[in-house]
Amino acid sequence: MCGIVGYAGRRNALPILLDGLKRLEYRGYDSAGVAIVGSSLQVVKDKGFIANLEAQLPSLEGSTGFAHTRWATHGAPSKVNAHPHLDCTGKIALAHNGIIENFASLREKLEGRGHTFVSQTDTESLVHLIESYYDGDLEEAVRKALHDVRGSYAILAVHADEATKVVGARNESPLVVGIGPDENFLASDVPALLRYTDKVLYVMDKEMVVITPKGVTIKDLEGKPVTRETQRVTWNLEDAEKGGFEHFMLKEIHETPKAIHETLLGRLANLEVNGFLSKDITSVKLVACGTSYHAALVGKYIIEEIARIPASAELASEYRYSQGPSERPLVILLSQSGETADTLGAAREAKRRGCKTLGIANVIGSSLTREVDKTLYTRAGIEIGVAATKTFVAQLVALYLVSLKLGQDRGTLGYDELDRLKDQLRALPRAAQYVLNKADEIRALAEKYGNARDMFYIGRHANYPVALEGALKLKEISYIHAEAYAAGELKHGPLALVTKDTPVVAIAVDDPTYDKMRSNIGEVIARESPVLAVGTEGDKELPKFVDDVITVPDIPWIFSPVPVSVALQIFAYEVARLRGCAIDRPRNLAKSVTVE
Amino acid sequence: MKAVILAAGEGARMGPFTASVPKVMIPVGNRPILEYPVQALVANGVRDLVFVVGYRRERIQSHFQDGKAFGAKILYVTQTKQLGTAHAVIEARPHLDESFLVLNGSNIVDAPFVADLLAQAPKPAVMITESEHPRNYGVVTVRGKELVGITEKPTELISNLINTGAYALDSRILDEIEALARDGKHDLPSAVSALAKRTSVQAVRTEGTWIDALYPWDLLRLNAAALKEVPQVRAGTIEPAVTIRGPVSIGEGCVIRSGAYLQGPLAIGPGCEIGPNSVLLPSTSLGKGVRIGALTTVSNSILMDDVILGPTSVVQDSVLGSGVSARAGLLAASGPGDVQIEGEWHSVPQVGGLIGEDVEIANGVSVAPGTVVNERARVESGARLRGSIPAGAVVL
Repeated sequence: MCGIVGYAGRRNALPILLDGLKRLEYRGYDSAGVAIVGSSLQVVKDKGFIANLEAQLPSLEGSTGFAHTRWATHGAPSKVNAHPHLDCTGKIALAHNGIIENFASLREKLEGRGHTFVSQTDTESLVHLIESYYDGDLEEAVRKALHDVRGSYAILAVHADEATKVVGARNESPLVVGIGPDENFLASDVPALLRYTDKVLYVMDKEMVVITPKGVTIKDLEGKPVTRETQRVTWNLEDAEKGGFEHFMLKEIHETPKAIHETLLGRLANLEVNGFLSKDITSVKLVACGTSYHAALVGKYIIEEIARIPASAELASEYRYSQGPSERPLVILLSQSGETADTLGAAREAKRRGCKTLGIANVIGSSLTREVDKTLYTRAGIEIGVAATKTFVAQLVALYLVSLKLGQDRGTLGYDELDRLKDQLRALPRAAQYVLNKADEIRALAEKYGNARDMFYIGRHANYPVALEGALKLKEISYIHAEAYAAGELKHGPLALVTKDTPVVAIAVDDPTYDKMRSNIGEVIARESPVLAVGTEGDKELPKFVDDVITVPDIPWIFSPVPVSVALQIFAYEVARLRGCAIDRPRNLAKSVTVE
Repeated sequence: MKAVILAAGEGARMGPFTASVPKVMIPVGNRPILEYPVQALVANGVRDLVFVVGYRRERIQSHFQDGKAFGAKILYVTQTKQLGTAHAVIEARPHLDESFLVLNGSNIVDAPFVADLLAQAPKPAVMITESEHPRNYGVVTVRGKELVGITEKPTELISNLINTGAYALDSRILDEIEALARDGKHDLPSAVSALAKRTSVQAVRTEGTWIDALYPWDLLRLNAAALKEVPQVRAGTIEPAVTIRGPVSIGEGCVIRSGAYLQGPLAIGPGCEIGPNSVLLPSTSLGKGVRIGALTTVSNSILMDDVILGPTSVVQDSVLGSGVSARAGLLAASGPGDVQIEGEWHSVPQVGGLIGEDVEIANGVSVAPGTVVNERARVESGARLRGSIPAGAVVL
C-alpha cells in the first residue's frame, strides 16, 4: 500500500507533487521519493516521513514528474528500497503501488540478460523489464512489459527523453486522473488533487493512461482507446483538514453524529436498494477485513435480530480462498475505501459462486462499487485518520438500514415495529452525541488505565464484536497489547492471563445477556483485575461492583453498539494521546490495504 | 482587519438548550447563531477570525472547522477559565494585529452593522443601540458621538442606549485590561470605559441589525429574524396536494405527505418527514431528521434535530431541543406564562413549551404556557405539565 502522485503541466512540478504526496501520507509513510524530468531525469528519495524528504531536497527544475510514499511489502523501509526505481541507463523512473507476484522469475531472467539490480523490491524488476522493451516510446514499452507481469499495481513512469509525458497503468490498485487547464494529474486518491481540480477520471483495471500538459488518453492493454466520462468531486479540501482539532482521529470521532445523519438521510422513507433485497433471500453472508470485518460481525447480530434470517460474517481473505457451499446467500461486502484488495477478491469470488452482491463503501466510485451488483454508500465523508472511527459507525447504520429493509420485505416486521425501529434509528445521532459529551470523563479514565501493558476487552452478543473493535483501536494507535474475548469464552482459557495488572474493559449494557456479563465480570474481579465497564445510564447496580463505568444512553440494546463504539474510540484516542503516540499515522499501518 | 469572536460562554440562562451545546451553537433559522456574525464579517471582507472557545468547544470546531466552508480563516483559542470577556481578548492577543474588532458570537448581526463598525476602525469604537430592556445590559452614557462610560445592569435608568458588545479596538485596550485585572475585574466594558477616560472612543448608532437572545423565548425572535432571508428551496419528495405559500426551504431527503399546508417563512432541514394534513405556520424552523405525524400543527417554533412529534399535536411559540420525542397528541399551545430560569421568574406574554434535548413524552401530554422541561426528562401518558421539570426527572 503506497501513495503516488504524477504531474504534467506548465508549472514547476516539485511543490505540487510534495503537496499532493502529503495528502496521501495516510496511505503509507515509511519512505518517500520524487522523480522530475527537466533538462534531465532527477531522482531523490529517502527513508521516513515525507517531511524528511522535503528537508533534504535540492530545488529540482522541471514540469513533469511524480512522487511516491511507500509502505513496505517487499524489502525493508530504506533509502535504496524507496521509490522511484531506475533502470540501468538511469533514463526511466518508475513508482509502483501494489505487488508484482512473479517478480522473482522476472528478476532472474533480467539479471541473466545483464541488468543490474540495486534494491530488494518487486518494483525494480518492472522498471528493468520496461527498459528491455524500450524503443523510443515509453507508453509502448510499458504496455509490453505489463503483458509479462502478474500482480496488482498502479504504476507511474517517466522517461528522460519524453519530457512532457507521464505514463500510468492500473490493475487492482487505485489510480485517478485529475484534469486541469494546461495541466493534468495522476494520483492514488482524490485528496492529492483537490487543491488543483475537482474534475477527475477513474482509471479502471488493466488500463493505461498517458498524461501530458495538453491531454489525457486512456487505452486498454491491447492499445485500444477507451472513452471515460469525467466526474466532479463533491467534497473539498477543507474536509481533509483538521479544523481546530489536535488530530484527524478526534475530529472524525466528533463527526460521528453528522455521519449517522448523512447515512440515514432520506433512506428511512425509501432505501435505494429497494427491490434488490427481495423475498427470495434466505441467508446473508457479510465479508470484510479489519475494522469493516468487526462491523460485519455486528451486522450478523443485527440482521438475525431485526430481519430474522440467518447471517454469518467471514474475513475476506479467508472467504475468497475457501470452498463455497451450494447455498446462495446475499453477500454483503464492506470496505471503507472500497479498495481493499481482499474484499475486492471476495466480491469476485461471490459472483463466481452465483451470489447476489451488495457493497457497503464510503468512497464514491471506488473499485468495490464496480465489482458488486448494488452499492449502499455510507455517507460519512472523507476519513483521514488511519484508525477508522466514524466510518465504522456509519457501516453499522447502513447495516441497520439493510436489516430493516430485509425485515420489511420479508414481512417479519409489523408496521408498528418498523415505525418504532425507524424512530430509534433517527435517535442514533443523539446517542453518539451523548457519549461525545462525556469525553472529559473518558479522558480521566484513560489517565487511570492508560499505563497498562496489556488489556482485555469482553462483551457478549452484538457487543462482542464491539469489544474486538475496541481492542483493535487500542492496539493500533496506543500500541498497548489488547485482546478481546466473547465473555463466555473467558473460562475456556483467557482467564489464565487475567491478573491485577491487566485491566478489563467490560461491555455490560442493558441487553438480554446482562446477567451473564455480570457473572463474567465477577470472574474477572475474583482475579483482582481492575474493571472499566461500559454500562447503560440509570443502571444503579453496575457501579457498585466495578471500578469505573462509562455510561451510554438507555436505547434499545440492538442499537447499543453505536454509542459503545464511540465510547471505546474516545478511550483509545485519549490513551494514545497520553502516551504521545503518532495517532493519525500509527507505525506499520496504512489506511486502506490495497495489497493482499 | 482581524476579528475576535467571543464564543466561550455556556449561556446558563438558556436553560435546557445549552445542556450539550454552547449558546453560540443553538440553531435559529436552522443555522447556529454563530454563523450570522461570521457571515456578516465575511461579507465585509473580514476573513481572519479568532474564535475564543471554551464550553463544549468541540461542537464549534466540528461545525466551523478551519472556516473555508464559510469563506473565512478561523483560528481557535481555548479560554480554559471563563474569567470574563476582557480575559478572552488577552487570550486571543497573540494572534491579532495592532487594531482589531471584537464581536459577541451569540448575537445576530448583519453586514451593515459590521460595515458601520468597520468604518470607525482603526479608531476605538463601540456599537450602541436602543433597548426596551436596558436593565439587562450595559447602559452607555455618551457626549455627542463619544463614549463617556458603560454602566453594567444599572439599578436606576440612565438611558435606553445599551452596549452591543461589538468593538473596534487597538492595543491600548490591553493596558486597561491589565490594570483592571489587578483589581480582579475581567470584563471588557469596564476596560472600554477606562479607555474612554484616556482617549476618544466613538459610540456608534447603526441602522444595521443587532439582536440578542438572553432567555430561551428570545430564540423565537432570533429565529423569526433569521427566517426573513430564507430562500425558496425544494428538495426531497413532495407528494401531491401539498400547499406551499411564502418562502419555504425544504432540505434534501425530505418527504412532505399529501395534504400538508406549509405557510412560509419556514426552514425545513434535510431528512424531515411531514405527515399527511399537517400544518406548519410562519417562523418555524425544523432541524435535521425531524418527523412530524399526521394532523399536527406547528407555529412560530424551533424544532431542533431529530425531534419526533406524534400525530394530532399542537405546538406554538415553543422551542423543542434536539431529540425530543413526543408521541400522539402533545399540546403545547401558546399563552401568557411565568417561566422559571436559573431560579428566577419571568413573565412572558406569549410562550408555549420550552422542552430540552432528549425529553421523552408519552401520549396525550399537555404543557402549560411557559413550562420548562429540562433535558432527558421522561413524561408518562396523560400528564399535565407546568412550572419547571428537572433534568432527568420522570413525571408520572
